[in-house]
Amino acid sequence: MAGSDLPKPAASPKRNRNEFVRENIPASERVASAVLLCLILGIGVGLWIKGKHFDPNRYALRTDALKSTAGAVEGKAGTLRSAGETQPGEEGASAAPRPKAEAATAEAEPAEGAAAAPKPAIKGEPLEIALPGLKPMGATEFYSSDNLFEKIDGRAPAYQGFNVQQLRSRSFSVNALSGSFVDVYEFRFDSPVNAFGMFALERDPKGKPLDFAPDGYAGEMGWFFRQGAVYVQVIASDQKPETLALAVAIAQNRAKQLPADDAGLAGRRKLPAEGLIADSIAFVPDNAQGQAFLKNVYQANYNFAGGKLSFFVMVTGPGEAAAAWKSYLDFSGQFGGKATVLPDASGAKLFAAENFGTAKVIYQREGEIGGVVDVPNGELARQFVEKYLAGQIK
Amino acid sequence: MSTNPPPDDTDGRTSRREFILRAGATGALLAGAAVAGRALWQPEHFVPGFQPEKGLQLPSYALALNKTLPSLAIAHGKEHDATVRAAIGALGGMSRFVQKGDIVMIKPNVAFDRPPALAATTHPEALRAVAKLVMEAGAAKVFIADNPINSPAGCFLKSGLRQVASDLNLELLYPETNSFSPLQLEGEVLKHWTFFHEPFKKATKVIGVAPCKDHNLCHASMTMKNWYGLLGGRRNQFHQHIHSIVSDFALMMKPTLVVLDGMNVLMKNGPTGGRLSDVKQMGTVVAGTDMVAVDSYGYTHLLERDLAELTYIHKAHDRGLGNKNWQDTFHKEVQA
Repeated sequence: MAGSDLPKPAASPKRNRNEFVRENIPASERVASAVLLCLILGIGVGLWIKGKHFDPNRYALRTDALKSTAGAVEGKAGTLRSAGETQPGEEGASAAPRPKAEAATAEAEPAEGAAAAPKPAIKGEPLEIALPGLKPMGATEFYSSDNLFEKIDGRAPAYQGFNVQQLRSRSFSVNALSGSFVDVYEFRFDSPVNAFGMFALERDPKGKPLDFAPDGYAGEMGWFFRQGAVYVQVIASDQKPETLALAVAIAQNRAKQLPADDAGLAGRRKLPAEGLIADSIAFVPDNAQGQAFLKNVYQANYNFAGGKLSFFVMVTGPGEAAAAWKSYLDFSGQFGGKATVLPDASGAKLFAAENFGTAKVIYQREGEIGGVVDVPNGELARQFVEKYLAGQIK
Repeated sequence: MSTNPPPDDTDGRTSRREFILRAGATGALLAGAAVAGRALWQPEHFVPGFQPEKGLQLPSYALALNKTLPSLAIAHGKEHDATVRAAIGALGGMSRFVQKGDIVMIKPNVAFDRPPALAATTHPEALRAVAKLVMEAGAAKVFIADNPINSPAGCFLKSGLRQVASDLNLELLYPETNSFSPLQLEGEVLKHWTFFHEPFKKATKVIGVAPCKDHNLCHASMTMKNWYGLLGGRRNQFHQHIHSIVSDFALMMKPTLVVLDGMNVLMKNGPTGGRLSDVKQMGTVVAGTDMVAVDSYGYTHLLERDLAELTYIHKAHDRGLGNKNWQDTFHKEVQA
């Protein structure tokens, strides 16, 4: 009796805390908890793996991050450098483009000051070649001038010297032959002239001329030519007939697909093919033969009448060509040299000169100036020039 | 009978049992966090400029000097297998270098995705010949590895080396992010750099197999330059000091044996080549324990050039890393 009448003791606050202890936990909550724990564990493992190895690139200078500060600030002196101005150590990657076409037999100079971070590869249209019997081995690869070394390593500086803009390359397997493939490289330059310059630098003297590309030749397992501002290389993996047949088909395809452009190459077309020593063709953009008035000159060596000689041609306006011819005549008579104006031939003015033990014969006809230089036999030089002007050497 | 509830924590105090349980759980969590933190901590990591640099240093894989056997062998022949065998046979045979149970790492030059005919990469038949000799000598395992400039999978495939690995059951190690460790060296330019360490972790012997080829920056790529393929990161920046870094490789790596494949030599337009007409058949294999001597022969007799031009050879010689006067070494010339 006493128990039922006694007031119930007040509930302690602690009792409420115990009531939060749950014994029945829903399955969804268990799963969510497990997922979270696994995620935390995974993050920990990932941190361990990532942190295990040192990456020096983590602290490499990213010059592209500095671009935001390179712009001119309104109201203040501009901080942008003018095009063509370079700083020490910046030759190559970050200098303003300059046509630099050395003689074809000169060695490429080593890269210098390539300390700037490479720009991202230029993306472009995938290299699609729809020919039966071929299958792409992978995606098209794109490289800019800055990261061209990632594909061609030590050859990159030579290409940069001619202002290469982009490399687009892709490999194609030969369906009929396991292990056989064809590599296609398309180096795009800033001008047809520079594309020609690089092509000429690597030209194989034993290459056979191509009938589908005036500036081109075929090797034993490769086809190399210039089309417009693009220097194309199609290289087969082996000399099996099926592989070579597909490789030449690819080369012809590219020659058709790529736009033709011979801007700046008028002088190149003037060089006669007869007697030409193919790998001697060179382009000199300025100061050819040490003369400021000789620019954009094409020159090559020839076998002629039992001897060898060097012939050059420059195509420009008639006034400029005449002025250059006059300047060359005046210069040749200096420093003990002897210059003689010859009778006109085939509508061209000519002079012959002897300096320092060698002879030259220089002509000018309308917008064209050229001639034979540095030969021991002046008569041989005159014969060649007169035959060329008469169209007898083509 | 008392109706009071039994004494428990509702009276505002924690029971001993509950305290022990909770303290135990907290302690376990703290201990777990401490263990995890210690495990995640990377003692080798450093922030440049704030801590002294640390990195691994490769052991020497070179054998002790043997005055009774040649240190350089030159073999002439018509095909790879016989000529490689002749060269290594002239050194005393592969058993001089590899013993039963050895784990051998063979480093070919697979820098580019070029076909074998263009001689820009180690020829598959050269690798096959060397690997077969290694296995015949009783090696327990043979790795081949390189960190190519182009895509590794494409390079090993197109060069034909993947097929060799498959045919001979060699373990081909592709470079992966986790494969690299910081290397430490007192080189002229190579001080601290990321290095393709994975293939070397278990190796007991190291053999380099390199083509002999032109290189337009440093004039030639042969057995010394072959080790360039072990560097990671933006290694192209070393091109500015190409001769110094190539001579540093002779300091970085002390291999058991190097083989210079001069059966087909890329005479110009290296290192990538691209024209069959640039390749000249020289029919020669040079093997030796001194990379400087091997490369010296290769430059003068296979590339047919004046040794005075090859700056890195003279640097390595002057630093005491090898002998550029190969003819003064104990050498042997044989016909396969």
